[in-house]
Amino acid sequence: MAPPIDETIDGAGRPWPHWQALLAAVNGLGAGGLAGRAARLDQALAEEGPAGLLPGAASRGWRPDPVPLLLPAAEFRTLAAGLAQRARLLEAALADLHGPCRLLASGVLPPALVYADPRFLRCGALGGGPMLGACAADLLRGEDGRWSVLADLTGVAGGIGYVLQNRRLLARVLPEAFAAVPPCPLDPFFAAWRRALHDLAPAGVAPVRPPVLALLGAGTASAHWFEHMTLARELGAVLVEGGDLTVRDGALFLKTLRGLRPVDVLLRRVAGRALDPLELDAASGAGVAGLLDAVRGGRVRLVNHPGSALAAALGPWLSALCPLLLGEALLLDSAAAGHRASLAPTLGAAGLEPRPFVLRLFLIRDGAGWRVLPGGLARLAGGERIGKDVWVPDEGAAEAQPQPDAPAAPVAARLALDRSTGDLPSRIADDLFWLGRYVERLDSAARLIRAAAARLSRGAEGLAIIGRCLDDAELIAGPATAPTLFAAAGGPVAGLIGEIARLTDRVRDRLTADMHAILTRSLGRARHDAAGPRDADALGHAMAGVRLFCTTLAGLAAENMVRGGGWLFLELGRRIERARAVAAELAAALDGSGPREAGLRLALELCDSAITYRGRYRDVVQPAPVLDLVLADPGNPRGLAFQLVAMHALLEDLGGDDGREMPALVAGLLAELEILVERVEAAPDAAVAALPAELRRIAELLDGLSERIARRYFALLPAAHSLGAPGLRGAA
Amino acid sequence: MKYRVRHRTLYRYDEPVDLAAHMLHLLPRVLPGQRVLRAVLDAAPAPSRVVDGQDHFGNAVRWLFLDRPHERFSVTLRAEVEVGFAPPPAASPDWESVAEAARIGGPRGWQAAEFACPSPLAPADPAAGAYARASFPPGRPVLDGLRELARRIHEDFAFRPGQTTIHTPVGRVLELRAGVCQDFAHLMIAGLRALGLPARYVSGYLRTHPPPGRAPLRGADQSHAWVGCWLGPELGWVDLDPTNDLVVGCEHVVLGWGRDYADVSPLRGVILGGGAHRVEVGVDLVAA
Repeated sequence: MAPPIDETIDGAGRPWPHWQALLAAVNGLGAGGLAGRAARLDQALAEEGPAGLLPGAASRGWRPDPVPLLLPAAEFRTLAAGLAQRARLLEAALADLHGPCRLLASGVLPPALVYADPRFLRCGALGGGPMLGACAADLLRGEDGRWSVLADLTGVAGGIGYVLQNRRLLARVLPEAFAAVPPCPLDPFFAAWRRALHDLAPAGVAPVRPPVLALLGAGTASAHWFEHMTLARELGAVLVEGGDLTVRDGALFLKTLRGLRPVDVLLRRVAGRALDPLELDAASGAGVAGLLDAVRGGRVRLVNHPGSALAAALGPWLSALCPLLLGEALLLDSAAAGHRASLAPTLGAAGLEPRPFVLRLFLIRDGAGWRVLPGGLARLAGGERIGKDVWVPDEGAAEAQPQPDAPAAPVAARLALDRSTGDLPSRIADDLFWLGRYVERLDSAARLIRAAAARLSRGAEGLAIIGRCLDDAELIAGPATAPTLFAAAGGPVAGLIGEIARLTDRVRDRLTADMHAILTRSLGRARHDAAGPRDADALGHAMAGVRLFCTTLAGLAAENMVRGGGWLFLELGRRIERARAVAAELAAALDGSGPREAGLRLALELCDSAITYRGRYRDVVQPAPVLDLVLADPGNPRGLAFQLVAMHALLEDLGGDDGREMPALVAGLLAELEILVERVEAAPDAAVAALPAELRRIAELLDGLSERIARRYFALLPAAHSLGAPGLRGAA
Repeated sequence: MKYRVRHRTLYRYDEPVDLAAHMLHLLPRVLPGQRVLRAVLDAAPAPSRVVDGQDHFGNAVRWLFLDRPHERFSVTLRAEVEVGFAPPPAASPDWESVAEAARIGGPRGWQAAEFACPSPLAPADPAAGAYARASFPPGRPVLDGLRELARRIHEDFAFRPGQTTIHTPVGRVLELRAGVCQDFAHLMIAGLRALGLPARYVSGYLRTHPPPGRAPLRGADQSHAWVGCWLGPELGWVDLDPTNDLVVGCEHVVLGWGRDYADVSPLRGVILGGGAHRVEVGVDLVAA
């Protein structure tokens, strides 16, 4: 049996010149060499790649190998032509199988090939354009040196997001390689894809408003959400999941804060049968009931149509079908069994070793023809999820590809200026609101634990009160002691960090890569800090570390998130939570049976306001000045009034038709605080004694306000049930 | 035989349903042997959008979309249908040649072949196949085997509503030796498919009151299900009712057919909200 081909050697046994240049660059790397670059690649991947912030979330997707696979330009052109022909052929076959069925009626295809395949869907031809808009192919080069197709991927052709990721990471980590063998750029392909999807929008949309493109993923818990997010960003699409969409009156809409926004083109990255629980898989939560009706009615275009995955079963028949359907001979064969894949240099434990791989190339429908990405993924054969970046050396290969005529500049309506929340799905607003609340809650917890830890050894007064605050916040049960505080750090605090990590993952597509990288690093440190402490002093330090994380996140958000967008909800969550905490903690501090001055000092400490107070009033502690500072002074960011002022502004910004009530409620609370302080000035003892009850009432009011915000903005739609069809939910 | 059909389905929800989408297989098919003189589907509350079409099997489908909150939803079919299905042929080819014709497909068998393939609710279940095989010794004419299989199911299985649901797999029905018409149809179809014979799930109605002197028929006050069987390219399809051991002649009205119940559920839907729900179904099929 012939040995597998080595990619770096040509047919005559000589090393390919471009491989030589690449290997020379790789071997000439300085300190640490290739292994050092690989380590940097792994680190960049950990910070910016698919791995979630949650510990133990196994890294999804593919890890890049630092050595790219070189695909000579001439070979690429040949493969591109072959794949484009296969795509046309598969489209023709699908159109027949969902239409006249001549291939079955004539006996060319056996019935079981189609009818026993679960990928064949019986929703019929949906019309409104071809079934296939984007696909991919897995190829290998056999011992005879020829490429053949192992699999056509015509349903959800996954992996293109990882191509983008690999290219970007490699460009940063291995610039020497780029200098040695400059690869074809990937951007023109994605620009063409954006244009093609834009042009796909139903007629009549573009002259009126920019077409809306959405990418339907399966949510952040899915194994491929990172790819979905990357691809959505690249294409200018809104990343959505089934629950964000609804069909009304035969058209598809996205549920946003500003109401229902039409979706014109849907790029679906979930299985076809999951798209419409009304007509297809009744148990699917990943789709929308009525989507197929909207497609049939021409109100939305779908890439790819459900049932397109069936084309993958036709591989062995393509050489017979090509002359029948296209009148041509098949250019690129389907792989016969038993071929051994060719080998490419890959970084192993002992340096570069030749490893077999499968090449995945991607193509899209671009106007009347098909365009192939001059790049791809070379996945190592055998279990490891390692993918090499594929480079087509830039010898003018991109231009030489048979291109459909350059499309005319799209006719676009003039954009109206928009400073609002834009297409923010309600789900994201909900997540950001709770992210804000949890970050503040974590900050509070760390602050209280730190204050308690500092008092443990001194046996200082106030420990009992802080303990009560901790108990109210459900961080400890019982008095504050060393064991209960350690348990709080390891248990509830770790739990809050986990919640924050989960929510940050869910809103990840709203964060820039930089933000996410910084967050990953600080979250890792915070988690480490919370888990470690062995004594009271270390515990105090650890909690300071946790507070640093909270500050980092707040600062990042303030400096990087546009005010009109989801930041509004993040900030609203933080302010409500902090206001609540201040009210509850002050109530506890002033409730104590000890000397009033001690309670007032504790109040100042809990609100981080001791220094400010001393600056104004020196060492004299009296009720009215203290309470004015922590309750009513709108200039104190740790005081209650500041939070309410911020909330008032945010709620007014959100506005809406019924938006008057909530700001008015907050304005009322602000007025109340002024009155409370006046009472304290007038009759200190009585007023201070009455304060705890008032403050607890205010805390409850804030809880109620939070619920109203949720009801008003987060569209709490009830769960969907299926009737009358075998599904996993509901069912009569 | 002319019939007036009235089929009413009522859903009652514990909580309001905010949004509902429904897909109906409730309009009788026009067939050689069945003329549809009149067919009207009424839905309450009135849907905001109604779309009519045909599914993959050629059945009439209606989609209804409701976008206003409601706590009850009812659909009523009123139709006048004239049926007179041809009597079954006297002779039929041996069953192995029919299975072979389905396997090959081609111009004469490709459409029937679809129904020899497994489907979610009627797979090619080996236990069902073993049960069916007893009626198909080598060389037997296919129609003889089919009629015997229908008779055996009618005798061996008890008609007992409430023991099974639309999720009950065929294997379980075999264990229970009981079920309703839907189960018997799935069982017979699964058994036939295990032998390579095409069989389709037919949804429709059975006359409510039998002719005088005849025993009451099972499944007469709800939508009914039976089995379409293929006798090969020359003879085509004949319908057998295993629940009542009948060849479908003029006591049945056909709504449509598919691979199994899921392809032709009379009324399926996706609702947002609703909480718990209850269904009431009433069918009348009376001679007109």
